[in-house]
Amino acid sequence: MINNNVMLVEGNRLYLEQLSNIIRETETVTLVARFRDAKDALGQGVVFTPNIILLDADNPNIMSLLEEFRKTYPNADIICTGEKWSADSSSLYVNAGAKCFLVKPFSSEELLDAIFAFSKPTTGGVAEAKVMTFFSPKGKSGKTTLIANLAMAISRKTNASVGIIDADLQFGDMAFFFNLKPQSTIVEAARDTDFLSPVSLNSYFVPVAKNVSILCGTKEPSLIDKVSIHSLETIINMARTMFQYVLIDVPAGFNPTSIAAAEMADTTYVVAMLNGGYEVQHIQRSLDIFTTWPDYKEKVKIILTRVEPCTITAKQEMEEVIGYPVAGIIPNAYLDVATAADDGRMALDLKPNSPLSQRINYLAGRITKEKQDDKDDF
Amino acid sequence: MADEQINGVIITFFSTASAVGKTLISINMASELAREGYSVCLADFDLQFGDIRNYLRLTPEYTITDLCESIQADSGRPLMPLLTTYSYEGVSFQVIPNPAKLDEAYNLSPETIIEVLKNLRMQYDYIIVDTTSMFSVLNLGLLDISTIVTFLGIVDFIPTIKNMKIGNETLRTLNYDSNKIRLVLNRSDSKTHIQLKDVVSILGEDFYHILHNDFISARESIATGVPLVLNGQESELTQELRALVARYTNKGYQTEETRKRDSWLSKIFK
Ligand SMILES: Nc1ncnc2c1ncn2[C@@H]1O[C@H](COP(=O)(O)OP(=O)(O)OP(=O)(O)O)[C@@H](O)[C@H]1O
Ligand SMILES: Nc1ncnc2c1ncn2[C@@H]1O[C@H](COP(=O)(O)OP(=O)(O)OP(=O)(O)O)[C@@H](O)[C@H]1O
Ligand SMILES: [Mg+2]
Ligand SMILES: [Mg+2]
Repeated sequence: MINNNVMLVEGNRLYLEQLSNIIRETETVTLVARFRDAKDALGQGVVFTPNIILLDADNPNIMSLLEEFRKTYPNADIICTGEKWSADSSSLYVNAGAKCFLVKPFSSEELLDAIFAFSKPTTGGVAEAKVMTFFSPKGKSGKTTLIANLAMAISRKTNASVGIIDADLQFGDMAFFFNLKPQSTIVEAARDTDFLSPVSLNSYFVPVAKNVSILCGTKEPSLIDKVSIHSLETIINMARTMFQYVLIDVPAGFNPTSIAAAEMADTTYVVAMLNGGYEVQHIQRSLDIFTTWPDYKEKVKIILTRVEPCTITAKQEMEEVIGYPVAGIIPNAYLDVATAADDGRMALDLKPNSPLSQRINYLAGRITKEKQDDKDDF
Repeated sequence: MADEQINGVIITFFSTASAVGKTLISINMASELAREGYSVCLADFDLQFGDIRNYLRLTPEYTITDLCESIQADSGRPLMPLLTTYSYEGVSFQVIPNPAKLDEAYNLSPETIIEVLKNLRMQYDYIIVDTTSMFSVLNLGLLDISTIVTFLGIVDFIPTIKNMKIGNETLRTLNYDSNKIRLVLNRSDSKTHIQLKDVVSILGEDFYHILHNDFISARESIATGVPLVLNGQESELTQELRALVARYTNKGYQTEETRKRDSWLSKIFK
């Protein structure tokens, strides 16, 4: 086992003591050196051969310090610490070579999470996640089923890390789909956003597979009050730096939650289930709003569920009727889907080669390869 | 009813899962009451994606937006000319359609909509209200002002039952009279392996009424724009719908004032 030799660089006298104590109390971690003055740490710290540096990001010269620390300690992980997380500054630090950001004072668990957090493979700058919001005009569109299966398919295809946020704030079902009884949900995450960083938010997500985890929804409808739009936005921003793909479930229709999540997403999927009613009109009505976005053509995509027969002709016909490209169609698989949900399992796992699994895998492929030509591909 | 002021019965259809039949059943309830000779107004308060105008094939001139504007203008002009008439073979009732445009729907004030209802309830024997499946400020206002709330559920898969249970419990916390809220099961016998008795035990309460699954009749009624109770086919579902109406019009039921309560949702969406 590798030693975790920590060097603490902290300008604030009180934090220096407090954080030192926390580090000393943390198992598997050794505090090898501590400095109030960053220049001292640069000049004298080398003799202690730290492999983890906690660097005070509240120092006004943090950007140039980061550069110097990287040069002096090329083999150490640098974890920035600060009183408050913000998406902008923390992505600056990460771009400048920091591993992640921790809000101080942190707990032993948070410190360990940060030390062991797997660093997202970055290609040059920070690999920001692709954020997808699943909007539906009316409920019972099949979107929770779609999100759950798609998340699994994406992570299997690419080994990428995938986060699901259940922001269907009154009647979110995601925890049920995965048979979870979560300790923490979006309510606790929203309550704590001011004290959280992506590393600590991670512990609010419940892992359901190797690279897939879920921020579960509220336990009862009145808790919608506890999740402000601002905190939801902060959570989405943090999730963007924690995962490679983020999938968000929102309440049906246009409401502050679905609008905020759609506006923050890279792609908003408009999901509707075909049931012989007026779903086409509802989609068109929703598109009237979405097409006011200047970049709607790239951002807004349609997925139809329970399409029977689920053929390329059916897809083309629907495009004709709706007057907008259809990005994906999901076949009618009522019994598979319901059986899976009742058992807390994925339809994708129960029948890996079913038409449903094939369509989901196809969509996952489109999402991960980001192919642009929406035309006659099925 | 020339000079005499009546205070009509308001029956709201509510659910905490979508696509449980609120719209289909509220249309049939309005139709059946109208067929029996009552004066009826059917309100579509699924403001964004309401289906009443679709299921009844209406092309309305005015919508709830116009009614709200009229109330706000405080002109004292009667609202009834702003309603849309549905009629089929001699049976007719009035409809308040949802707004033509989404942005109108998004911006209507729940308080004004409730004012519209308060005004109209003096003109009709029955006002039937269709809603969306969430605890919104508007829906809470509608639940408050209603004489009867039909809480509709279906048994399809576990999450729906979870939401029915949570919804029912939440409704109970609002402290309405116990017989104000009627638990009605729709689409019973549909394809599922979940037992009805298990659902009843989860809910801790029996269903007040059960409507059977009749996919073909339901779909045909929506496709033709003719309510089941008016189309001349006396299916089992039609009879169960009539039976539900008979239970609601039973003289045994008296309207009672609902108790005051603190609304925990009064702050949201503001
Ligand atoms: N591809 C499909 N074919 C047939 N039935 C499906 C399909 N996907 C989902 N369903 C069924 O439709 C119902 C709704 O599915 P799901 O919960 O995923 O939709 P939702 O849009 O998230 O609904 P809600 O509005 O309740 O959140 C469930 O009964 C589910 O089993
Ligand atoms: N008893 C029934 N048997 C078979 N199908 C039914 C029955 N009742 C309703 N349906 C069907 O269920 C679907 C949903 O019905 P409806 O639109 O009335 O539900 P809703 O609760 O108003 O939905 P939403 O929440 O989306 O507005 C329709 O396709 C309808 O034909
Ligand atoms: Mg859902
Ligand atoms: Mg409806």
